[in-house]
Order: sequence, then structure tokens, then C-alpha cells
Amino acid sequence: MNFAERLGRIDRRIVFAFIAVVVIVPFFLPLSILSRVSPEAQRLFDAVEDIRPNDKPLLISIDFDPQSMPEIYPMLEALLRHAFARDVPVVVMALWVTGVGLGELALNQVAPEYGKEYGRDYAFLGWKPGFAAVVLGMGRSIPETYPTDQYDTPLDELPVMQGVRNYDDIPLAISLSAGDPGVMTVWIPYVQARFGQDLGAGVTAVSAADAYPFLQSGQLTGLLAGMKGAAEYEFLIAEAGYTEAATPAIQAMDSQSMAHLAIILLIVLGNASFILTRKRK
Amino acid sequence: MHVLELLTTVPGIWVWVGALLTLAIFSFLFGDNPLYKVAEHLYVGVSVGYMITIYYWNFFKPDLIDPLFRGGQFIVIIPALLGLCYFAIFIQKLSWAVRIPMGFVLGWGAGVAVPAMLQSYIIRQIQGSLLAPEMLASWDTIVWGIVSFLGVITTVVYFFFSREQKGALKVVANIGIIYIMVGFGASFGYTVMARVSLLIGRLQFLLRDWLGVIS
Repeated sequence: MNFAERLGRIDRRIVFAFIAVVVIVPFFLPLSILSRVSPEAQRLFDAVEDIRPNDKPLLISIDFDPQSMPEIYPMLEALLRHAFARDVPVVVMALWVTGVGLGELALNQVAPEYGKEYGRDYAFLGWKPGFAAVVLGMGRSIPETYPTDQYDTPLDELPVMQGVRNYDDIPLAISLSAGDPGVMTVWIPYVQARFGQDLGAGVTAVSAADAYPFLQSGQLTGLLAGMKGAAEYEFLIAEAGYTEAATPAIQAMDSQSMAHLAIILLIVLGNASFILTRKRK
Repeated sequence: MHVLELLTTVPGIWVWVGALLTLAIFSFLFGDNPLYKVAEHLYVGVSVGYMITIYYWNFFKPDLIDPLFRGGQFIVIIPALLGLCYFAIFIQKLSWAVRIPMGFVLGWGAGVAVPAMLQSYIIRQIQGSLLAPEMLASWDTIVWGIVSFLGVITTVVYFFFSREQKGALKVVANIGIIYIMVGFGASFGYTVMARVSLLIGRLQFLLRDWLGVIS
């Protein structure tokens, strides 16, 4: 077996170990690679920035589960920090059952950092089945669709929900989406198209390529794509002085970049091995 | 005190549980094994149990049990009966009844979805692909507008099967293939990024939350 053939038959466990090393090393030797913020992340940041403080709430829908946490959860934390730092009220809901725990986790983590109080500054509506019926119902009446919040409190007893009837009272909705139901299957067709709601999105990298056409058509106000999008938003709020909290997505970007370089190298080596072996035959 | 309550009082116990389960799942890289099987079955069981609990507290109780037994709203019996009809599929003589809720859901779903999808996926996307006057604002918007417009036209031509693709039609369709390949490449690149992100997330958890060796 010559070198080219051996190159094409590297044990997959060696490849796994190589990728693991490439990902781990930048945690200890940071390279600070992130230097540019994409226009779509900047547009989402600007849209949140345009919401008037102590007025109508920002709506965030948790349409992901723990499997997508590394990519989307940092977006949720960063968005909450941005809103709370600017005294923008926040209403959180979930279209995914498994998003309920993640919503509570993020709110319980971020709200105390800014001294925000449940009911007065933010509310958690929780989850209801029948996603299309839920978002369409909210266009008619939010209190009728969600008579109570996640903790069984009637919405009219929550100060943050006073005067919030339907999407007319939501300046911006953001879906943090890992698939279906999510921004492309529910929020764009049923909420943006039907009610003209200003809509932002944070999506997993897998679905980012599918989401970009909606950005160009103006159906999305802004977009965060994968962990890179989360890192960009963390960078934006840190630069604006809204937070000094940890930035897990920015920290991960060095590992991400090095892993991409390693994968490109492996693709080149694999193809070189294939071409050389075929020539010999 | 219950043993589970006792466990929750131990600092970091759930981080240890999460870390050991993560390692058990990673052990699949070396092949199927009992540790992986335990973690996999535990994941399925916990997920289903969690969902049933949320379904009960967020749906059955506030939308069916409370209105019916506390509010006296007997109207909720109708959707409840419709829902129960789904279980008729397990009884051969009554299995026809499953068509009632399915017909209702399909009819409602199609009626709601068709105009919404047409509006957002066809009409707005065509509008977004047109060479609109606002694209003339700067040189880069003009260039990207033309690139995007050509991409839409050539890709649609590639999927035009009513006539044999030869001559000019073939040239245009081949340009469409290039656009499609670039699209596949972008999707694959993003998929790699997503999978690496998941690995990074787990390694951050192991190194930061469990071992405490990174900040």
C-alpha cells in the first residue's frame, strides 16, 4: 500500500481525535478571529435598538430544543441582555415543548443581572399545541390565545401585558428556530405574511441557507445564522456596553474556524488520495 | 427525604450526570456499546416523560379539565370527543371514526396553509427576485440584484422539463446547474458549521462546567 492509498484509509478514530484536538486547543490559546459583523446581524441589532424603552414588548419565540443549544441558546441570552439593558419589556413564548425549560433557564439567568422583575418587566407565556392556530390566534387576541402565562397567572394581572392585545402591540417578534415549527414554516407564512409583523430570526446553521431568501425579499428584518450569528450578536451588545457577561459563542469562534481549516485540509487530502490512486490504476 | 430530592441537594450532581451521559454518547464513536445504549434509552424516556408533563399542565388542564369541571364550559366536550376519535383506530369496528378529526384537521390545515404559503413562498419571493428600482441605489446592489435575478431564471429553466434541453435552453440550464451546485455547497458548508458547533458546545460543557479548566 503506497502513501496515497494509506492517506485514503486513515482510521476514522484518528480523524475524530484530530478534530477534537483542533477544537480544544483554541479554548486554551485564544486567537480572537471574529472581526466582522454581518449586515444581517447588524440589522437585527438595529431593529431591537429601535424599540422604545418601557413601552411595547419584544416578543421572542423559543422554537428550538436542547439539541440546538450551542448554536441558538447564546442568541437567546444575548437578545435578552440587549432588551433588558435598554429597559425594553420582553414576552417569551415557545412553539417547541422542549423549549419551555430553555426559556425559563435563560430568563432566570439574565433577568436578575439587570434587576428585572417577572410580570412587571417580562412574561413567559409557555407552550401551547397547534402552532398555526396559536400564532394565528395571537393575531386576533393574545389574552384569548394565552388566557394565563406559564405559571397559571391570568395575563391581565401582569403589568407587562397591559395594553398588549395582538401583533399591533408587538414592535418586533423574533423566532429562534431550529426547524419545524419555526420561522420559515410558521412565523413567515402565518404571521409576517398575514399580519405584516416585523420579524427577525435566529436559526441553526443547517437552515441558514434556506432563510437568506426571506431576508432579501424583506420578509425578515434581520437574521442570526448559527453560532457565528450568536457570536456577532454577543460582540454587538458587548461593544455597545450593554453587558460584561461571558460570551460563549465568541469563545467558540476560534475553535469553529480551526475546525473548518482542519476539515478543508481533510477534504483536500481525501481528494488528492482519490485522484492519485485512480491514476495509478 | 426522597432519594431524588436528596440528590438535588448535592452541589454539581446534575453536571456530573450530564457529563457522564455526554461521554456515554461519545463512546459510540468507538462502536455500539452498553453505555451508549443506556444513555440513548434514558434520553428517549426522559424526553417523552417531560413532554407528557408539559402537555398535561399547559394544555389538558387549562384548556379542557379546568373549563369543563371548574368553569362549566360544556362546549369543550366537542373538541375532546373529536380528539378521542383518534383512538378509534385501535378498535377495528370503530376505526372509521378516525376520519372525522382527520378530515377536520386536513380541511382546516389546507384552508389556512394554502393562501399563507402562496403569499410568502411564491408571491413575496417573486417580488424579492425582481429587478426593482431600489436595487439601483449602489453598484453592489445592482450587481447582486442581477446575479440573483439570473440565478432564479436559469434555475427555473433547469427544472423546465416540457421540452428537450438542447441549444440555447441547454446553455441556460447548465448555468442553472452552477447556481444549484453553489446552493448545495453553501448548504453543506453551513451543515458542517452546525455539526462542529454542537461538538464545541459539548466540549465547552465538559471543560468549563464539569472540569472547570476553562473560564
